[in-house]
Amino acid sequence: MSIVVVEQPLPPITVRVSNFTAPCMNSKKLDRDLSILTRFHGGYFRISLSLCSQALLWKTLRKPTTDDHALRHIVRMLPSAAFVFLWSFALFFLVVLCVLYAVRCLLRFDSIKAEFSHHVGVNYLFAPWISWLLLLQCTPFLHPNDISYRLLWLVFSVPILVLDVKIYGQWFTEGRKYLSTAANPTSHITVIANLVVAATAAGMGWRESAMCVFAVGMAHYLVLFVTLYQRFVGSDSLSPMLRPVFFLFFAAPSMASLTWDSISGTFDTTSKMLFFLSLFLFAGLVLRPTMFKRSMRRFGVAWWAYSFPLTMLALAATEYAEKVKGGVPNTMMLLLSLLSLLVTFTLVLFTILKTTHLLPYEDPFSSMPTSAHHHDLQH
Amino acid sequence: MVENKEFQASAMQGFQEELPSLLTAVQSKVDGFDTIPSPRPENTTFIGLEIKDIESQINVIDIPSPDSPVQVIKSHHAHSLSISMPSSPSGLYIEQDQGDLISQRSVANGTNGQPNLPINFKVVNFEQPKQGIFHSQPMPLRNSHAKATPDQQRMLRSSRLRDKRYDSFKTWSGKLERQISNLRGKSQETEEIIAAEAPEPEPLPPVDRYFDALAGPELETLRESEQLVLPEDKKWPFLLRFPISSFAVRREYYHPIRVNFFFAPWIACLFLALGVPPSVAVNLHGALWYVLMTPILCLELKIYGQWMSGGQRRLSKVANPSNHLSIVGNFVGALLGASMGLKEGPIFFFAIGLAHYSVLFVTLYQRLPTNETLPKELHPVFFLFVAAPSVACMAWAKITGEFGYGSRISYFIALFLYVSLAVRINFFRGFRFSLAWWAYTFPMTGASIATIRYASEVDNPFTQSLSVALSGISTITVTGLLLSTVIHAFVLHDLFPNDISIAITERRTKSNNNYAHVRTASSDAKDIETCLSKQDTEEALNKMFVK
Repeated sequence: MSIVVVEQPLPPITVRVSNFTAPCMNSKKLDRDLSILTRFHGGYFRISLSLCSQALLWKTLRKPTTDDHALRHIVRMLPSAAFVFLWSFALFFLVVLCVLYAVRCLLRFDSIKAEFSHHVGVNYLFAPWISWLLLLQCTPFLHPNDISYRLLWLVFSVPILVLDVKIYGQWFTEGRKYLSTAANPTSHITVIANLVVAATAAGMGWRESAMCVFAVGMAHYLVLFVTLYQRFVGSDSLSPMLRPVFFLFFAAPSMASLTWDSISGTFDTTSKMLFFLSLFLFAGLVLRPTMFKRSMRRFGVAWWAYSFPLTMLALAATEYAEKVKGGVPNTMMLLLSLLSLLVTFTLVLFTILKTTHLLPYEDPFSSMPTSAHHHDLQH
Repeated sequence: MVENKEFQASAMQGFQEELPSLLTAVQSKVDGFDTIPSPRPENTTFIGLEIKDIESQINVIDIPSPDSPVQVIKSHHAHSLSISMPSSPSGLYIEQDQGDLISQRSVANGTNGQPNLPINFKVVNFEQPKQGIFHSQPMPLRNSHAKATPDQQRMLRSSRLRDKRYDSFKTWSGKLERQISNLRGKSQETEEIIAAEAPEPEPLPPVDRYFDALAGPELETLRESEQLVLPEDKKWPFLLRFPISSFAVRREYYHPIRVNFFFAPWIACLFLALGVPPSVAVNLHGALWYVLMTPILCLELKIYGQWMSGGQRRLSKVANPSNHLSIVGNFVGALLGASMGLKEGPIFFFAIGLAHYSVLFVTLYQRLPTNETLPKELHPVFFLFVAAPSVACMAWAKITGEFGYGSRISYFIALFLYVSLAVRINFFRGFRFSLAWWAYTFPMTGASIATIRYASEVDNPFTQSLSVALSGISTITVTGLLLSTVIHAFVLHDLFPNDISIAITERRTKSNNNYAHVRTASSDAKDIETCLSKQDTEEALNKMFVK
């Protein structure tokens, strides 16, 4: 089957449809629908990230705990059926997105290349793998010691590591210029990917690999943290509609805190420090609502960027409350969990009600890679 | 040259005729009164005033016209010439010539009484002010428009009248003061205003204005091309001179260096709590720690958030060593909390401090060669580098309960920085004394404390002698600084000079460009000057100001 990739705006589909095994309907509507389907770019994986991390949160909350605090017991009353339902739904959605993305790879490979060159799009290439790993971590069907679990970990980690080598290598070999101008909050996703790999490995008992990947992730997190704080002139490459991704600032330290907790076995001082840092950054962002005003005018897939970091923070708070028992940590855990649940639920509601706003009517990466800077990944 | 001479002569003439209408015109030009021409360098002299046409000259004369001649602000840059200007719109107050003006350290001007010529200004040796501090002495005013003799009554009244130029710095633009004075029963007479009504508050300058307009290691010196919003020659109200004063707080908050000093009072309180003698209190209540740390937390959320979210106050623009003050507070708080027995709070602040310290450290190391606010000669501001690691070392030791590897690493970093600064002792000379120097002695003290702690762990003659030496140095420095402060406060009375850093204009005013032209054409001016005869100038000045 020869694939003709036609770089034109709507509607180029007629040629491709004939190459599909689908029924040969040349109606415009079908063309349009199909072309929409191939336009689901990497940014849509924010949804799967949110759902998978929410499932992980529910699983963690339901974990048996040594804490006798009343709040903890309330939280544990979450019905297991609800958790399984959520997990299944997250799995289903992830599968659908992956299939769509695979189709996109086949049909619009140039767009994929454009995404890879884009300073924001490239980071979302990690997102599907993170989602898979999170699902793996909270799966109710497999145990970390199972061979299939380990195999799956390998399957999902290798692409991340390959992307690591490619992208981090670009950071320092293509000159400081590249990182200092292209660094943006979504780059945290690359760090989070490493940390999730490490956390899952530690959960399986593979401490050395976990440490290795953790070290890589943290080293690059340090570089990224400093670079982003410095805010070089010209690094304002993020459109105001993408401001929700600033929440990733506190997603990375929360994940790091959880990862170190898995690796070292206890929520020790390092984990606490990372958790406190993410708490501080969260407070700093939440107290600046004007930053997000412009992006909140219209619903878009960028809004889903709010949910994942909040869930990560809630997870870290849960582990913290587990270690440091008491009223304040438990209250914090409860509040953060409720907040993340509320935000996720609201986003789901919005998505259902305003699905049309979410669909990609145009492909932001359909033009040549060099002009990809103007695209926002919000549609 | 010739035409310039003619021009000047005609300008003088023009002045004579213009002046009466000037007086009437001036009354209406109230808006221009809040801007002041910058001190001009010596060469331009009075001729510098004749810029292009009479019109602009009138404007120049209108402008801010402080009661007393424009004075040299700082001696760091060229000796500025002071020119007498009519001081008030409501009448032509002619400055009484003060013979002792010239003898003052930083001021030299001419007035009408005696012909202090522009040329004399050059001749008069501007004595380098000892530390660049200038006196602004209030000048007796004389209304020569109405009478030839000084009008004492008018002078008294005018000095009692509220100077409205400071209104824009006041909370609620001075309305509060008016209300208070109304309450106190002062008459409702429409006061003869000394200066313009400032109807709306002076807009706050964006951060790059601070960098453009100010120079020096603490951005405390006004650049030559800049003007001030407040009169340069008068002594400003005390609260505007007192750093981190209550009325000019917003402007200080937006100053890229001064904002860091907002942490200073809280850090001082923390140190007091740390060092409370056992006879006063043995165990401080934990609530005190929360009370002290809350303002620090709020300030931090604001300032670090500004670093992160970019805009004008992004770190790559405003990074300077005094940012260390905003970081050290975290470590001091952690130290205090840990010594009080708290567990989580100290770790919280230590984590935040560590994360942001690493960012700042890297940024400062990166930008050090090119940062324009750091001059080549070292300034005490560099000592702040030592502060954070030494206090972090102590805090970590207290948190973990032992002087482990983390503390040691931190301590060695602090020691290294201290030594690398100390060997450049030659450069720590000849700086203008300022109250802000007190912020720089505490790193020395912090390093001494850390050394003492280290010496108690690693006990050998070297560490012991090091601890003695460092403690001695810091004690001597603090004592010396205390003496200087006392001397400046009570003997020299210049502890609080006009705080020009808060009075810069929001944007460069148009007249500055003219002066820039004049400055660059200073060689021309010099020529013009030498062409003129003393006589001419003398007469001209007389005619201009005696009316």
